[in-house]
Amino acid sequence: MSVKPVVLLVGADKGGVGKTTITRTLLDYLATRGVPVRAFDTEYPRGTLKRFHPDITEIVDITTAADQIKILDTLTTSEVKVSVVDVRAGALLDTLKTFTDVGFFDLVREGEFNFILFHVIGPSVASLEEIAEVMPYTRSDHYFVMKNFINETSFFDWQPEIQKGYFKLVKDAEELTIPKLNEMAYEQAELAGIPFSTFVANKNAQGQNANYSLVLRGYVRTWLAQITAEYDRIRLVDRLAGKNVSA
Amino acid sequence: MADLSYAIIVASLHGRTGKTLLARVIAEYFMLSGEMPYIFDTDPVDHRLLTLFPHTTRVVDLPQVPHQMTLFDTLAKASRESRIVDLTHRSFGQFFDLMRQTDFIAEARARGVEPVILYIPDRRRDSFEAGVALGQRFPDSAFVVVENAFLGEPRDSVRSGDAYRALKAHDLRLLVPTLAPDITEALDEPSLSLSEFMRRPLSHGDAERLPEYLRRARAELRTWLLAIFQGVHRITLAVDGDLAPVADPRYSSAG
Repeated sequence: MSVKPVVLLVGADKGGVGKTTITRTLLDYLATRGVPVRAFDTEYPRGTLKRFHPDITEIVDITTAADQIKILDTLTTSEVKVSVVDVRAGALLDTLKTFTDVGFFDLVREGEFNFILFHVIGPSVASLEEIAEVMPYTRSDHYFVMKNFINETSFFDWQPEIQKGYFKLVKDAEELTIPKLNEMAYEQAELAGIPFSTFVANKNAQGQNANYSLVLRGYVRTWLAQITAEYDRIRLVDRLAGKNVSA
Repeated sequence: MADLSYAIIVASLHGRTGKTLLARVIAEYFMLSGEMPYIFDTDPVDHRLLTLFPHTTRVVDLPQVPHQMTLFDTLAKASRESRIVDLTHRSFGQFFDLMRQTDFIAEARARGVEPVILYIPDRRRDSFEAGVALGQRFPDSAFVVVENAFLGEPRDSVRSGDAYRALKAHDLRLLVPTLAPDITEALDEPSLSLSEFMRRPLSHGDAERLPEYLRRARAELRTWLLAIFQGVHRITLAVDGDLAPVADPRYSSAG
């Protein structure tokens, strides 16, 4: 049984909500679960994701036809079935429109490809408006809201009635909670420029023993474990393999 | 064993159980053996150990992440000096959560640092329950139940509980005998070095000049310290014993 190629978009219509951090945890998770994945870093030209996962990441300019082709045309030819696209902040809607224009979503509807959207949002009501704009492109079984608690801000600003209004088009939208990571821990991992799990294992990019803080590694370990539990909970690996995951 | 050191954590669920005094006596034990242990005083307000051992004590305020780093990163480091943590009851939960979170036990042992938890239950039921939970939470760390005789035995209702019995039956123990209150008070004198006190025998001339009750006090203090020092020594032997490699049969004493 051959697995359908799947595109997983990680996007946010606002900067600063921790989108690339989430993509990094996703790549880490898939590596741990033995799922081959290739990643596209759309923060052209310098990239923000490639630094951490250089072997599997390619920097692309998603606004150019050439790079759109690079992503989509290789879906059927690549041996790697899972393609993660870390969409540049503010470019989510445009990217979804582009994918529509080139017929990608037609092919999804026809069953050629699978599609998953991780919509990273911040705690403000503006995020709810983003969700409403993204709604037309999504179905409930492939749309996931990632609530990233980067500043420990409460997401309770959302009045239940308002929230229900935005979500009425997508029944039972799955929400994932990305807890806050201590800033010092985040910074040290960031500076190290390696995948999170490599940092936790106290190794550097070359696989040699490093000298990172025991305490900060502990914070990242706990944080990563909580996120892993969330990815396990939504049965992400099964979804990427195209298996039917009933609620 | 070369380069093997201890990370000794003196802890209790509640305050006023004799942690600081015990931590001090253990520090003096190592000093008497010629070592200079590194001491962590986790009470930033009433940092008595800093006052007693200003040159070898570090005060850490556990709610602060950089202090957590100083503490745990140092505790797990390979070093000939042993480390002693006087864990204020206010930071009891946070400290052991961090210990779990950082996988401290495994990392420390991988570097030749043996963690030893010295837990002091008091008279309350929850202190026994917390002790049992702590020992179970860290099965790879040496765990010692401290009996501070000063605290006395708890009520019958506590003594009939499972947690009390479990701690009572625990094999690794340290008894802190009672000490007369006026002598305990004398220990508050910061300039009194207990290891010096133990090293210097009472000269005949000194003994003659001291009034009876002071002579008795000196003797009682020495007896008390000796009892605890011997207890600590037995614990280190037990901890080391657990680590001793299995004897190589090729080198048996036969012939």
